[in-house]
Formats: sequence, C-alpha cells, structure tokens
Amino acid sequence: MSEATARRRGALARFWRDYRAQRAGLYGAAILAAAVLAALVTPLVTDPAGLDVTRATGEKMAPPSPEFPLGTDESGRSILLTILWGSRVSLLIGFLSALLSMVIGTVVGITAGHFRGWPSAVLMRITDWFLVLPSLVLALVLAAILGGGTSTIVLAIGVTSWASTARLIRAQTLAVEARPYVERSRVLGGGHWHVMTRHVLPNVAPLVLANTTLTVASAIVTESTLAFLGADSGQASWGSMLRGSYDWGAVTSGAWWYVLPPGLCIVAVVLAFTLCGRALEAVLNPRLRGVS
Amino acid sequence: MTRLGARLAALGLALSLAALPATSAQAQVLREPAEGKRIVRLGAIQAIDSMNPFLAVRVVSTSVHRWMYAYLTTPDSKTLAPSPDLAESWETSADKLTWTFKIRDTKWSDGAPVTAHDAAWTLNKIMTDDGAKTANGPAVENFASVTASDDRTLVITTRKPQASMLELPIPIMPRHVWEKVGDIAGFEAEQYPAVGNGPYIAVEHKKNAYVKLKANPGYWRGAPKIDELHVIFYENPEAANVGLKKGDIDWIGRLAGPHFEALAGDPDIVQWNTQGRRASYLQLNPGAATADGEEIGDGHPALKDPKVRQAIHHAIDKQALVEQVQNGLAVPADGSIVPPMYKDFFWQAEGDVRVAFDPARANEILDDAGYRKGADGIRTMPDGNRKLEMRFSIHTEDPVEDKLAQFLTGWLKDIGIGLTTRKLDSNKFTEETGSTALYDIAISGWSVNPDPEEVFATHLCSRRPTAAGEGGGTESFYCDEEYERLYQAQLVELDRAKRAELIRRMQQKLYTDAPVIALYYPNNLEGYRSDRITSITPIPEDKGILYGGSGYWPVYSLQAVATPAGPAAGGSSAGAVIGIVAGAVVVLGAGGYLLARRRRAAADDRE
Repeated sequence: MSEATARRRGALARFWRDYRAQRAGLYGAAILAAAVLAALVTPLVTDPAGLDVTRATGEKMAPPSPEFPLGTDESGRSILLTILWGSRVSLLIGFLSALLSMVIGTVVGITAGHFRGWPSAVLMRITDWFLVLPSLVLALVLAAILGGGTSTIVLAIGVTSWASTARLIRAQTLAVEARPYVERSRVLGGGHWHVMTRHVLPNVAPLVLANTTLTVASAIVTESTLAFLGADSGQASWGSMLRGSYDWGAVTSGAWWYVLPPGLCIVAVVLAFTLCGRALEAVLNPRLRGVS
Repeated sequence: MTRLGARLAALGLALSLAALPATSAQAQVLREPAEGKRIVRLGAIQAIDSMNPFLAVRVVSTSVHRWMYAYLTTPDSKTLAPSPDLAESWETSADKLTWTFKIRDTKWSDGAPVTAHDAAWTLNKIMTDDGAKTANGPAVENFASVTASDDRTLVITTRKPQASMLELPIPIMPRHVWEKVGDIAGFEAEQYPAVGNGPYIAVEHKKNAYVKLKANPGYWRGAPKIDELHVIFYENPEAANVGLKKGDIDWIGRLAGPHFEALAGDPDIVQWNTQGRRASYLQLNPGAATADGEEIGDGHPALKDPKVRQAIHHAIDKQALVEQVQNGLAVPADGSIVPPMYKDFFWQAEGDVRVAFDPARANEILDDAGYRKGADGIRTMPDGNRKLEMRFSIHTEDPVEDKLAQFLTGWLKDIGIGLTTRKLDSNKFTEETGSTALYDIAISGWSVNPDPEEVFATHLCSRRPTAAGEGGGTESFYCDEEYERLYQAQLVELDRAKRAELIRRMQQKLYTDAPVIALYYPNNLEGYRSDRITSITPIPEDKGILYGGSGYWPVYSLQAVATPAGPAAGGSSAGAVIGIVAGAVVVLGAGGYLLARRRRAAADDRE
C-alpha cells in the first residue's frame, strides 16, 4: 500500500468520524438514502402503465383506500404511484442541475480567482449580473422558450443558479493562491493549468462538495416551483403534482391526499439535503471546524 | 397569462402587487348612490382595448359597441339568421352585385336624424382610410362602392357576389360627430356621453376598471327595462367569481369549467350551462407548404398520408375527453369545425363516414398501409427510414390542454405512434403552427360567428404563409381543389339553404381528409345572480348564450330589481389591508435576506 493511499484512507476515516458527530447530518443522510433507494427500486416493483391516464382504474379524486393507499388524482391515478415515479424526476433534475450549476460555478470561480485583472473583472461582472437577475423568472422564461423536457429544465435551473457558487469559489481560490507553496510551485515552473488543477482545485473541492449539496436542495425547490408555475419536464414530478392539485381544485374539494404527500416529500428531501450540506460544511470548511 | 398570475397569487408572491389597483377602482363604482335604480353589473375577465369601434377587436369591446350602435342587420333571436336592424329591408340586383338597403327613420342620442349618409360615410371610411381598417377591414374588401342615393337609401356594389353581406360586423357611426376626427387610428373616442343609436349609451369609461352605460330612452325598439348597465373588468377569473358570490357584480360570462363549478351550491346564483359557439380541434400537419406550394417546416412525413390521419382519428375517444378533460361540460364532436349551435350550417357524420373510437380499426389501417410495429411497439414508415415519433404542441399554462396531451399520448401509444408534448408560449405557438410549420400535431380551436365564412377561409390554399414566411392565417396548411371549389361556390350562393348545403359538404371534406380533427364543442358557461337579475333572454332563445354571443338581445331583454337603500358593503378595504401587510412582509423578508447574504459574503471575502 503506497503512502498516498494510506493517507487518503486516513483522511476518509477522519472525515467519517467528524461527520458522525453531526447528528442532524446523519438524519439527513438517512432520509436521502431512503429517498434514493425508493427512486431506484420503483421501476423494479411498479408498473408505469398506472401513470397513463387512459389506463387509470380508480375513481376521480377518491380518498385513500386499501387499493390506493394515498387516494387518487383527478384522472383516477394512484397518488402513491405518482409520488414514487415523481421522486425519480425530482431527484434527477435536482442532482443534474446542481451538478451543472457546480461545474459552471467552479470553472468561473477558479478562473476568476486565478487570472487577476480584466478577465477576473469581466467574469465577476457577468457573475454579478446573474446574481441580481431574478433567477426564478429567468428560469421560467428559459424553460418556456426552450420548450419542455428534462434537459431544458436542468439547463434552466443550472444556468440561473451558479453565480453564488462562483463567488464563493473565487474567494477560496484567492485565499489558496496566496499560500506560499503555490508561489513556490509557480517559481518551479508550474503553469496556469498545473496551479489551477493540482493546487487550487483539490483545496476548493470540499467547499464545492458542501455547496453542491445545498444547491441540490434549492434546485429541487426551483424545479417544483417551475413545475407548479407550468414549466415542467412533461413527466410526473412532485412539483407537477402540486400544480395538478391546484389546477383541478383538490383543495376546494377537500382532497388533502392529493396536496399533502407531494408537499411533504419536497419538504423532507430538501430538509435532508440541507442537513447533509450543513454537516458537510461543518466538517470540511476549516473556518467552521469546531463550530457545530 | 392569467393562469400563471393565479398560481403566483396562490404562492403568495403577487398578493401585494395585484390586489390594489383593481379593488380601488371597483370600489369607486360600488360607492356611488344607487338607491332605487335598476342597475346590472356585468363582470368581464378582459378590459376594453378601445372605445373607437374602428379599432376595437376584443370581445368585451365589440359587445359594448353592439349595445351602443345599430348595425345594418342583427341575428334573429330565434334562428340567428340575419334580420332587420338599422336596415328595415333590402334587395339585391339580378347579377347579385348591387345591394339596396332601406335605412330606418330613427334618431341619434343627441337628437340628430340617422340617415343613409351615416352608413355610407362609415363604410367608405373603412374602405379608404387604412387607419380605420384595423377592426373590420376584411369585411369590406370586396366592396366596389358605397353611396347614399337619398336619406333613406344605401346602395352597396361589390366586385364579386358576397353571401356574408347581411352579416357585416360593422357598427354604423354618426357622421356628424365622427367626420371631425382627423386621425382615426389615434382616436380613442373618450367623449361622454357617446352619441349612439343602440339600446344603451356609454356615459363613463375608466381604463382597465369599468365602463358605464345608461339606457337609451329614445331607442327605436323602446328603452331597455333597466336604468344602467355597468361592465366591470377583472384581471383574473377567481376575483370575478368572488365578486359574483359577494354581490359586487351580478353576472359573468365566458367561464372556464373549474370556475363554473366553483359557483355551485349558492342558491342565489344561476349556473348557465348551454351549447357554445366554439369548436376545439387538433391540427395535423398535412405536409405544410407556402402559398406558392413550396414545402416548409418539419412536419412528420407519415402525416402526409391521409390513412395515418384517419387512424389517429379512430384512436381518439372523444366521449372520454369530454368527461375527463372538460368535466362533462362539452359536447363530443361527431362533426367538424361548426358547433351544433348553428343548426343551419352544422354537419354531423353518420353511417360509414362516421369515424368511431376504435383502436383495433386504427391498428388495422396502419398495418395495411405498411407501417410495421417495431420491438418497442412504435411503428416505422413503410420505407423503414423513420419511426412514427411525433410531437404534440400545446400552450404553456393550460391544464386542460395538458390533460388532453396525457390522454392523446396514451391512445396513440396503443396504435404504435410515440407522442411527446411540447409546451410553447402563445407567440411561439402561433408562429410554429401558423407560419413556420414546425409541428406534427397541435391543439387549436375557433369561436365561430353566425356567418361561418371566416372559419372556412382558414383552410384555404391562399391562407398558407407567403414565401417570405409571413403567416396568412391558415389553421391547417390544408390545400385541396374540391374544398376551394366549394368555398368559392358558397361565397356567391345567396340562397341560404343551398349555401348551407355547400358549407356542410366542406365540413365533410375536412372530416374525412382530417387536416383537422374536431374533438369537442365546449359549452358556454356563465353565472348570474337571480336575486338581482329577474329575467334575461339568451341568443338564440333556445339554450343560447347570454354574454359574448352575437347581437344585443340578452342585454336588451335584461330585467333587474332596484337597488335597495342602505350603505353598500365595503369588503374591499380588508383586501387592501391584507395586500399592504403582505407587501410589507415581503419587503422586510427580502431586506433581511439580502442583509444576511451581505454579511456572509463579507465573511467569505475576509479569511
């Protein structure tokens, strides 16, 4: 076993020890694991034909019963089945758009932190511009112009939510580049690429990870909001279920089983991501270490 | 975007923004002393675009103008066939090119006599002044000349015979008032009381808030039985519904299904559910081309085959759509684009022609035509080049179209056609389905007038876009020789029965060729307070429309109880308070959030 592997293993063990100390983070991770597991198992144990309105067997807006544990929607489809299949779309869009937002934010942040002067100024002005734009409205317009579909929703959320990540990463990059060993590396002939990928990136990576986890939470909320406002991916998601319940008057007809489950699912998953993100931040961010 | 607005309100975001201006203006109408007057307040989910009839195009504006000014003819209250209004009688020459109208001897509301010169001036103005063409330009396109040979005789000559001559949608204006106007296109006609000769006279208009009309005591049929008619504009249907329930207004027309159903259970509200004048249909891209015959767009090649279009027609269960998508508030379409309300022109498919819901038959047609199913259940073109994967274009913000798309996707899957839904905002939708032809299947609909000429014109070859891509108003990119021939024939056929027969044959052509597939005819849904409105006659009288139909019969027939003495309830101030509080909370919250961010950002910058 090489020395590097041993060091990494040691770091991982230390990380896990620190993370375990964050009890809220553990709860969050447990909820997340359950949600992801449910999303992965759903296609193996249920039949998507139940989502097809032309094959719905239930009554319209029927209350919970043994056959439909969470009742039915306006077309007689099982709410439970829609929740399960919707979790796949909500989680997928949440993860992918957070990933996209993270990639854009990290690239812009490191570039702007590394190249001082006008490239930094230009990139930061663009970042500021995205920061002050009302991102929900922009995402709504983007989704409307690009047309429906999972990829366009991912794009719409990713493109509008990277700005604060970029700001954060740039600040960390500035701090890292001020350290003496980076200067040493430069003197020894390390180029821009070498410094950015070998020295800066590993040092900002923990922050990126923690930030991404938090971004997933807000991405899921944004996806639900967009779907509620009418810009959805065309597949059932928790947000589109909420919209359906509003459009078809579930509240006025007292169909709580149509409104509560998707709402609670969103709350649970978003809370879980936030708890995990905060715990990760507490473990990985040197400035927060010891504060919990 | 009203639906988006409604959802935003539901989110609590727009509360402080939307609530204030509307309520304060409407409160003003309510506060005025009204004791002893018989007033009817109509809520409209639309505001007047212009009080100048040469410019106005919205339903609410043209309706109000119908009540303010007489037209040459008006649809009969029973049959909807043209009947005398300002014109007492008329005759046509043997060559069908000259029309002579005898103008009724009546007075304008300022006392001046109404003459044939008024009518001649109005029609000539539209023919000669481009600014006056905005609202009704196409109606006079075929006119060669319009003259008044004396005070009572109006003579119109046309280049070609014109069957729709007795259904001109043009109000006749008082020449002595309007000839002083220099620039018609820029004239807003905000002078009150307006000079008119209809059953009502406009006395006040506050933009985006309301218009007030008083009964015209000198109206030639006799003054209406109420004193005043107020039309109050609402921004969204929920607010109008609440207004009706609270008694702020007495009547709303043109409701959507969910809002109509929300009125159930109130003993004082009459839910008016009758046949409508609209047809909802699918457009199937039949191989779009420009008016010059050059192919445009990216429609699926399989849709050029009438058999595929027919198979799709067989796969649609219209009865299920009515029940599931329209909550039963529509009539399944066994015909084409003219709804059954227009008995004279309506055509219904019968016998072998009728395309019933029959997925097995649809599969058989496609199998026989060589579209083979693949392992994934999706068919391919007979040459094997392309799968039958199609797009369905609908509007964003429309739950009804959304639900329809879910059903269509399911049914087409059963016959081996894959369907993905594309949601487009209305501008892009109009562009892609009307001029650039970037669609396979799209949703559409048309509110048909008593004279259905316009809706049939939307399927003519000449309505397809120009080579430059300018839209000509086609609803289908259809171009068929026999259809063109029938259209030209009905245009010059002045015998109503013979013309109706030609029009029915055009519908049969559209039905069997299926460039459009009619789905259902949505009902006309309205609500009014029976404790205020004691009597109202729809048009047509048998199960007809109250607001937004043709003619002035319903508002002319209105009878209402007098407003009792006592202060009007002031519910709107509570709304304003809630709005202000919500606004303050939003501002404070946003400020706090920004402040917190600012602190955090500063900490990040430090290290």
